[in-house]
Amino acid sequence: MNVEETLMTASQILEGWAWKTETTRPAPTRIDATLENNDDLVPLVVALRVKHLGYLSAITGLDHGPEAGFMEALYHFSSGPVIVTLRLKLPREGAVVPTLSDIIPSAEPFERELAEMFGVTVVGLRAPDHLYLPEGWPEGVYPLRKDFDPGVLGGNGHHAEMDAW
Amino acid sequence: MQTDIEKAERFTIPIGPQHPALKEPGHFSLTVDGEIVTGATVRLGYAHRGIEKGIESRNWVQSLYMLERICGICSHIHATAYALGVEALAGVQAPPRAQAIRELVAELERIHSHLLWIGVAAHEAGFDTLFMYSWRDRETVMDILEGLTGNRVNYSANLLGGVKIDVDDAQRDAILRGLDFLEGRTRHYLDVVTTDATFLQRTRGVGIMTRQQAELLGAVGPTARASGVERDVRVDAPYAAYADFPVNLVTSTAGDLEARFVVRVQELFECYRVIRVILDHLPAGELTARMPRRIKEGEAISRVEAPRGELFYFLKSNGTDTPERIKVRTPTICNLTSVIKLAVGHQLADVPMILAGIDPCFSCNDRAVIVRRDGAAQGWTWEQLRQYGIETYARRNS
Repeated sequence: MNVEETLMTASQILEGWAWKTETTRPAPTRIDATLENNDDLVPLVVALRVKHLGYLSAITGLDHGPEAGFMEALYHFSSGPVIVTLRLKLPREGAVVPTLSDIIPSAEPFERELAEMFGVTVVGLRAPDHLYLPEGWPEGVYPLRKDFDPGVLGGNGHHAEMDAW
Repeated sequence: MQTDIEKAERFTIPIGPQHPALKEPGHFSLTVDGEIVTGATVRLGYAHRGIEKGIESRNWVQSLYMLERICGICSHIHATAYALGVEALAGVQAPPRAQAIRELVAELERIHSHLLWIGVAAHEAGFDTLFMYSWRDRETVMDILEGLTGNRVNYSANLLGGVKIDVDDAQRDAILRGLDFLEGRTRHYLDVVTTDATFLQRTRGVGIMTRQQAELLGAVGPTARASGVERDVRVDAPYAAYADFPVNLVTSTAGDLEARFVVRVQELFECYRVIRVILDHLPAGELTARMPRRIKEGEAISRVEAPRGELFYFLKSNGTDTPERIKVRTPTICNLTSVIKLAVGHQLADVPMILAGIDPCFSCNDRAVIVRRDGAAQGWTWEQLRQYGIETYARRNS
């Protein structure tokens, strides 16, 4: 598929979900679709896969901060120069998303990182233990959140809880 | 240790964290039944430095210096992805001469990286002669990079808006002479990796990943291309000067370890070719475009082809001089999943080469192996596993 065809196919798929998504064009080769309902993620991804539209390049976690009161998970699918990004809006407490790893195995490390850095529960993740964070990292502390306080790790750069590793 | 392994028992071998192939930490846990790997998981984090968090309290310029230090081997491609992303946010185009120089340095970086990898992968197979020769020859490109940028590692060639280095005639001649030498040597490596019987025994037909598997497992870079996946960001979504100085896609259909060698060696020939074209047609003009200190609000995505595969940057600006968010997705994390799945069903002796085959960069991901058999876990150092692989094959030949 060339660029025009890719953009058209992606638009058509998203049109089919128009009552459940809001679509924008932040750049000539980028399409962003914000989902109303996080449960639509898997079926929408399946729709993209069926049309062989792109591969999952990355999953970005985004914290809009305690004042704005929400986070986002961005799923980026690349096809040639075109990038289709599915955006899920998430609460800062109790954020839950379904795993893509059953249909896209490569999603697993991306989802593990999203979970540990932002405090998002990814339902159905096979190995939900930490990918990057060390053993002994305090529960409920999510480093990439805007209100992360390094002080909770202990003073003087000496982290007693992490001596175990 | 050998008698334990010969018993058909299940045990776990930890490999790492002071690890595996590249003298960088990573932690693999393999479950082994007799000789066959039946399960594998990965844990990283041993060299994690919190860079994505760090840039949230540094300005756009300081962040450039931080991000180009994510990786020593592929520093320039990180700086390039970042600079292109910030320029996109700001609506600024770096001048053509700067983009061409960015591509020039990126291809020189690919040369040093692939030569480094050839040596390391050869070392994994116990082929230390090839390791020594390739690293000796690699000094040629290291000298070129030092002559151009002042540094062998972390070239710091990029600025936001352009580059800080230029190429004069003397440097141009030195580069061309170096490339001629390296091209002759590379022909020799191609010959070695495709005809040396001992080497082929550890690579031909080993670690096969089909095209379907590569696509499903999200493999990128030469690892994916060796399985016939036609994916290369320089070709799919040209950036910097790649639209003016394109490269050809290099693929193989064999999908085995030998193919991963051959693809990287053939990519070297493409590097030499395109660098000569760039030097012949280097656009005249400025090296930088003016960049504002405060970058307009918005989001940008920057995708580039690092030596190991697609490097993905997501950048968000809040209109100030400090980035709101920068997400860095490096190629090795994609390929690690493929290794985990691939290792299952293979024999333990093949694990070092299978891992080495993806050219893992742990700095990029953060940046040791446990082998479980019969519920008992044994800690092996990478050196032990590597030796085990070499000795297993040596025994079979005797």
